[in-house]
Amino acid sequence: MTEALVLALVGLPMVAAIPAWWSRGVVAVGLAWAAFGGAAAAGVALAVAVLAGGPVSAFGGTVVVDALGAYVLLVILAVAGLALGGSPRYVGHEIASGALHPPDEGRYYALFLTFVASLVAVPLFDNLGLLWVAIEATTIVSALLVGITRTPEAIEAAWKYLVLGTVGVGFALLATILAYASSVGVLGESSDALAWTRLVSIAPALDPGLMRLAFVFALAGYGTKVGLVPFHTWLPDAHSQAPSPVSAVLSGASLAAALYALVRFYLVAVGTLGPQMPATLLVALGLLSLAVALPFMVAQEDLKRLLAYSSVEHMGLLALGIGFGGPVAIAGVILHVGLHGLLKAGLFLAAGELVQQYGTRRLARIRGGLRDAPEASGALAVGILLLAGLPPSGIFITEFAIVVGGVLRGYGPAAAIAALLLALSFVAVAFHGFRLLWGRPVPGITIRRPGRTTLAWLAVPLVAAAIVGVWVPAPLADVLASVGSILGVRGG
Amino acid sequence: MDPAAAARLIDACAAGIVVMGILIAGTRSIGRSIWLVAGESLLIGVVGVGVGVATGAPHLVFGGLLAGLTKGLVVPVILGRILRQSPVRTERHPYLGPRVTLVVAIVIAFAAVATVDGAALGGRLVAPQALPAAVAEILTGLLIAMTRRKGLSIIVGLLVFENGVALTAFSLTYGMPLVIELGIVFDLLIAIAVVWVYARRMLTVFGSMSTDELRSLRG
Repeated sequence: MTEALVLALVGLPMVAAIPAWWSRGVVAVGLAWAAFGGAAAAGVALAVAVLAGGPVSAFGGTVVVDALGAYVLLVILAVAGLALGGSPRYVGHEIASGALHPPDEGRYYALFLTFVASLVAVPLFDNLGLLWVAIEATTIVSALLVGITRTPEAIEAAWKYLVLGTVGVGFALLATILAYASSVGVLGESSDALAWTRLVSIAPALDPGLMRLAFVFALAGYGTKVGLVPFHTWLPDAHSQAPSPVSAVLSGASLAAALYALVRFYLVAVGTLGPQMPATLLVALGLLSLAVALPFMVAQEDLKRLLAYSSVEHMGLLALGIGFGGPVAIAGVILHVGLHGLLKAGLFLAAGELVQQYGTRRLARIRGGLRDAPEASGALAVGILLLAGLPPSGIFITEFAIVVGGVLRGYGPAAAIAALLLALSFVAVAFHGFRLLWGRPVPGITIRRPGRTTLAWLAVPLVAAAIVGVWVPAPLADVLASVGSILGVRGG
Repeated sequence: MDPAAAARLIDACAAGIVVMGILIAGTRSIGRSIWLVAGESLLIGVVGVGVGVATGAPHLVFGGLLAGLTKGLVVPVILGRILRQSPVRTERHPYLGPRVTLVVAIVIAFAAVATVDGAALGGRLVAPQALPAAVAEILTGLLIAMTRRKGLSIIVGLLVFENGVALTAFSLTYGMPLVIELGIVFDLLIAIAVVWVYARRMLTVFGSMSTDELRSLRG
């Protein structure tokens, strides 16, 4: 049963991508939805089985999904579903405006499906080596999506993404090799020696010298994919140049998948080295990311780059929370990953709508939206406020939990600096949102108002994120507890 | 099983790989650098096959053949095709001239030999002497990728880097398990296909593959 679910989850999108490549219009969209729907159903069934009955394994232990993997899987599927929902209107507009060649419509959906297949593979493997293969595959496939419009800027962004992503992930491969070398002495020469289930349980027996190097390289390598400063330089380019639904997946799902890879390494490293060194590195890079992202958000002139730097900020916050450890901060981190994914998906869809209707990404030229484009600009403003942590949104609670968790664990100064940076970034994005809604309207602008379906896609993530802020449903609370027990095994 | 012979083979090939990395750092000709990196990759394949035979591990023989075939043959042929389509085939104004880069690469090699002590890392390494070579190769690859301007030269730098990573695997543990080796080769092939796609787009849109054209995204 588990085998069939895993095959449907990864296989359906990959197989459907082949006919989708040569199809157009309704056929392409239909194929994408059929394949994604099947995969999502399988993924949800798998996740429910894990969350209800504990870890499942398949294919002789190559696939193991625990609560952490199941949760990341659900986040990826939710974000990808929202992005796919926003795709037809976006792609249709791009083709109508000549930004995308008509044959690229099928290619868009084919690549989108392949990207999703590579992403959902990440939390499935019980093997640091195959995990690496899946992460590298996400980079390669999404590089094709980033540059699909073939404008000079898109080609530049895709090239940088490909080159910097490959160097980064190359370091992660080195980390994987070092981890393998540290464990073959204990587990023998087989791919078992890279199974994180085994590595976590024998972590104290691993070679600390090799493991220390391995974690540093994993942090640089997967940290590049997560977008932690100073390895983030590709991120604003790729996330701003990609088609907006793809930006949503890159930001909401792909960053979460990379963070998942880093966390698997982190759990092994903490087991071998103790929490001191790995946690300090995460806290340092997390604070650095928060501090560096802030000025770029304040002075930002490009709507999608604003959202991209906000991703750097939020990934920094997550690294910080994982470094803090302890039940409070970890609960905040887990919920935050899901909320950030949902909100970023909604925000990039709304931003894509505004960018297309106003014909520019420049914030200064997208003004007075409340009069001319109330739906998209309203969704964007609400999303920005929720994401920035306006009480009582879910993000306010998760950020509060991470900061308080840091104080409880004796990271008082780091937590105080983080709280200050978060407050400043709130002011920065509130300013941008204010101008976007109430600024002097752009003269002579004609906006094609979105239909009811588009509105629903914009509203779903916002409503979900707002609800979690005031009420955490019991099943979600259980999920948070079981994921937390995996992350907190040694950190708590 | 003869671990001593395997270690000698890894060490000898490691020396050859580092020398070729240094030569790549010192050449302006993109064509020559492609063939040098192909030679490096073939040596990586030889290491895999040789170690597999010496230790009686068929999966290493297979992995070595696969790596040699893809990285030593398929990838260079594709890069060669891209090169023939580009108007500029030499690295005319790199950020750092080839002579300086050559000297830096040699300094890196000596520094790696002087500072990297394979024996200090756990003491279970199969070819400790190859570890400094692997580290030097990784750094040389990064040096090439950072100091060149042409897209193809940067890709060659990344391949040198990748060869250094592969050499590390052999120095530490006789290479990786076969499933993972397969995955790595698979990713590499798709990556090169994507490079091919973007090389053609860059040639169409910019008329060259120089990264000088790529400076519109800032802040």
